[in-house]
Amino acid sequence: MSLEGYVPEIGPHLTLAEVIEFAFDYRGNTTIVKADGTEVVGYVFNRNDLVPEPFIQFFDEKGDGPFTLPYSGIATIRFTGKDMAAGNSWKAWLERKEKEKAGAASASGIDPDPDPHGR
Amino acid sequence: MSVPVSQMFTVASYVIRQKLAGRKRYPLVLMLEPLFRCNLACAGCGKIQYPAQILRKHLSVEACLGAVEECGAPIVSIPGGEPLMYPDIDRLATELVGRKKYVYLCTNAILLEEKLDLFTPSRYLTFSIHMDGLKDDHDESVCRDGVYDQAVGAIRAALQRGFRVTTNTTLFDNASPLRMRQFFDEMMDLGVEGMMLSPGYSYSKAPDQEHFLRRTRTHQLFSEMLRHPKKGWKFNQSPLFLRFLMGKHDYDCTPWGNPTFNLFGWQRPCYLLQEGYAPTFRELMETTPWERYGRHSGNEKCQDCMVHCGYEATAVDHTFSSLRALGETAVVTLTGKL
Repeated sequence: MSLEGYVPEIGPHLTLAEVIEFAFDYRGNTTIVKADGTEVVGYVFNRNDLVPEPFIQFFDEKGDGPFTLPYSGIATIRFTGKDMAAGNSWKAWLERKEKEKAGAASASGIDPDPDPHGR
Repeated sequence: MSVPVSQMFTVASYVIRQKLAGRKRYPLVLMLEPLFRCNLACAGCGKIQYPAQILRKHLSVEACLGAVEECGAPIVSIPGGEPLMYPDIDRLATELVGRKKYVYLCTNAILLEEKLDLFTPSRYLTFSIHMDGLKDDHDESVCRDGVYDQAVGAIRAALQRGFRVTTNTTLFDNASPLRMRQFFDEMMDLGVEGMMLSPGYSYSKAPDQEHFLRRTRTHQLFSEMLRHPKKGWKFNQSPLFLRFLMGKHDYDCTPWGNPTFNLFGWQRPCYLLQEGYAPTFRELMETTPWERYGRHSGNEKCQDCMVHCGYEATAVDHTFSSLRALGETAVVTLTGKL
């Protein structure tokens, strides 16, 4: 399931650290809402919560960076960009191949082979 | 086995030096990813799913060379993304060859023929061509028709010009042992120096999640494929790694053996898992909780992984860990019997 479009509500059931973990795993741009209310759009590629001052690292929408932001400077993160890992290109390709094969077979009057490798 | 003697000597002397120095963890192959951009979107690949601004970026040659120096591994593998889309790939290759690093430039070969003029043949430079099987299987794996034929044309052209050429093949659970044996024949007939094999890794970001190999099935598949290897087949990798894939050795992962450097820094803990980045190689080695990774750690993500970037370094280390293992490697290398 993709987090695309997710607007997390940080509270007793969801911590900022958990949202940051989701953002780190997300393969799309996010909107980082800073503690001062300003926002920046970018790709979060790293986080480290094992240091005295935990931080995230990101490239902004233009590709500038990397920028570092401490957890203490973040209010929340919204999953506003397209999830680039949510595609189904392999399935789409297989479906297209099957259609092509079925089309070629019906044109020639032969049943399509159910196994493309002849196994 | 087909690794040239000079390369074997370089690797052997490097590993022995590490052992004499008492280093438990050392890098063997640097996985250098100068970019994530690719001209294919293969079903089993989890490397390229990034927003546009990340795909447009690439490392500078200086950053790449800095990583190579920092790491010190004798072999540099350049995957990606598609490295032939890296605008400075010729300069990078020249610089690495000048430093006497054995470079494996891993490419799908779509651009290889038109870019061959950028390179000079050298014993240090190998084009490692992505080939996942015979024509239908390969084109299905890379989700585009015609790529196999393009790659074969590029292999011929590169060989004709005197380049070292190997193939690298990722196997999924729909691989047929019989067809793979035919594929080995076909690659050797083409004249490649050797072949590299590995089971695929179940990238959580890959579009096809159904066909990754599990451990038992991996043993079965590799045993059936390699049980009676033909004399003409040559593999450009550790014979003990192949025996591991066949279930004849029980190794654990050495993720530090193939450290990865890319736009984000030094990737923890390995080429396949992305659990964070360290700013320096030293920090990667010293602060990664290595005990949390590998099959024996119990980490769920590592249980079915048998990929070469985790286990080939283990096999090479094992080769130099005892006279018996060295003898086993020598016998397999000389007889070709796995």
